[in-house]
Amino acid sequence: MRTQFRFRIRLVLAFVVFVALVIFVRLYFVQVVHGDDYAQKADRQFASGGSGLFDRGAIYFTNKDGTLVSAATLATGFLVAINPQTLADPETAYTLIAEIASTTISHEAFLAAAAKKNLVYVEVAHRVSDAKGQELAARAIPGVQVLRERWRYYPGASLASQAIGIVSYGSGDALIGQTGLEAVYDGTLARSGDSLYKNFFAELFSNVGNLLVNAKDACEGDIVTTIEPQVQARLEHDLAKLSEQYSSKESGGIIMDPATGAILAFASYPSYDGNNRQNVGPALLGSPLVEDVHEFGSIMKPMTMTSGLDAGVITPDTTYNDTGCITVSTRKICNWDRKARGVIPMKEVILQSLNVGASWVATELGQDKFRSYFTTLFGTKTDIDLPSEGRALLGNLSTTQQVNFDNMSFGQGIAVTPVQMVRALGTLANGGVMVQPHLVSAIRLDSGIVRELDWSKTVPVFGATAAHETTQMMTEMVDEKLAGGKAKIPSMSVAAKTGTAQLTDGHGGYYQDRFFHSFVGFFPSYNPRFIILLYTNDPQHVTYASDTLGATFLDLVHFLIDYYQVPPDRGFATTTPA
Amino acid sequence: MPNLRLALPFSLTTFSVSLVAVLAVTYIGLIAVVMSYAALTVEFSQSVKNDEAAVAVLEGKYLNGVAHLQALDYRAAGYTAPLAKIFVPATSMTALR
Repeated sequence: MRTQFRFRIRLVLAFVVFVALVIFVRLYFVQVVHGDDYAQKADRQFASGGSGLFDRGAIYFTNKDGTLVSAATLATGFLVAINPQTLADPETAYTLIAEIASTTISHEAFLAAAAKKNLVYVEVAHRVSDAKGQELAARAIPGVQVLRERWRYYPGASLASQAIGIVSYGSGDALIGQTGLEAVYDGTLARSGDSLYKNFFAELFSNVGNLLVNAKDACEGDIVTTIEPQVQARLEHDLAKLSEQYSSKESGGIIMDPATGAILAFASYPSYDGNNRQNVGPALLGSPLVEDVHEFGSIMKPMTMTSGLDAGVITPDTTYNDTGCITVSTRKICNWDRKARGVIPMKEVILQSLNVGASWVATELGQDKFRSYFTTLFGTKTDIDLPSEGRALLGNLSTTQQVNFDNMSFGQGIAVTPVQMVRALGTLANGGVMVQPHLVSAIRLDSGIVRELDWSKTVPVFGATAAHETTQMMTEMVDEKLAGGKAKIPSMSVAAKTGTAQLTDGHGGYYQDRFFHSFVGFFPSYNPRFIILLYTNDPQHVTYASDTLGATFLDLVHFLIDYYQVPPDRGFATTTPA
Repeated sequence: MPNLRLALPFSLTTFSVSLVAVLAVTYIGLIAVVMSYAALTVEFSQSVKNDEAAVAVLEGKYLNGVAHLQALDYRAAGYTAPLAKIFVPATSMTALR
């Protein structure tokens, strides 16, 4: 019995020793004999360490039917790197890489990198496509590694690029949102990147709470914008055409739902392609629609008119004697054609865009009330969800010289951002109530919850009656004056106003032959679904905004009516025969 | 003095060896589960990202098509503007019943 037991013990011992020997020999072959081969094979693994792969939430456009289309997402492909210590034949390697990866560094730079034998890792090509990357990996070039790479990709290229923004390296070594929505919502879009590789059991013992309820899932996610890609593309196309036709310095436009402040299109020209920023200057990367201030000219007159109506100092039937020019504090203020109209009612101030009439309303209104209305309209930032919002230049509101108020009444001597202007003019389309313009409607959290953002903050500025009366004047302007009355749409009421402002010369005066053109309109006039603000800066060989922007505005109106199938609001009987 | 030795119905050595064996197998099993879990997570994640990238390429084509469509001059393509548009007042759903 005892002998048999010893025999068994020895048998087991011999087996253990045998297994140990087998493992030892196997390790020798793996680590010593074939060590280099395995090291190179490991280098060529497609999936590199996950923590190094860039990850970030998506930004979506919203189609009119509610479907989402990516405005910013991630692309995957490969990067190519070399290990100079094991790269035996740099010339051949470069030839093979250059055949496949068009984005590789120059021949000289490649050879210089290959000569640095103290380095083990030099990246030589980025953003190689999936197919080409796999083709290169299959060639198994010694000293060449093909590694998985992800990067930010903007499927729309230049579509809404200034609103979407960019990601790039900031002061640290991480890619972060630098401009536009990428910057404002960086906290939501950024990913820590370690969630894939945590050890379940380690987490179980050390951080059980986080395992059950992941705090990051409650703050990381994707963002859904209000931008409609078709409308955005149409606006961008129209602005590009306009700028090229008149050689403008820049042009811009905003299309917004005046009832909610949701922006459907937000464009300026020139812009840039988010996927190709090599030759893009820093000035283009910002958003002129929120950062730059302009004197908008006569599109300010509806604000002055509504202030006068709301304050009760005028009615639509009030008349004044238009003399063509007036002198205020030794400064002369004239109508655009310097002609006198005689005694005329208020609506003619809007229909004929009369500076003398607007000045008369401002005088009737008084400085205190004028200051109060315009401070409410322009005294605060809009708090739109874009960075670096500019502040309006309202210095003249603090003065007591009447000529300054007269100038402001027709949009000179007061400079505001385009987004402030569309917010203020939106009050006319929204019963006198000012809404908050915004670009993002919701955040889709990784936890699966969709968090709708609250943009319901409103500021009552005018009474509904005053806004309605000014809207009537603006609607008559389109029906009777715009394009000589040919712009009238029989089945749709459209309210609009043109603006032509002289550009400042930088020395306290204005150019006589350089202008800033603006145009605002909304429709259907008495229950508006869209408000459109357009501008073009310093167009050449043209004086009036109706000539430059009228056609663009009407193109957008007809496009929106067709695209959204906006039902007619006039021009046919609303009751059907029995 | 009474004999305090515990009388067990099985060998303590056998029990301990069995316990060690079970624990060892469990440990190896858990390691295998963790490794498999991590590998599958990485694989699925990469697969999702690859699919998202493929969708992004399609979205790029779609948005490029949208831009092309908006820039298209339909008159140059041989189309003409409609001579007239006739709008029909919408009939309420209740009237259809």
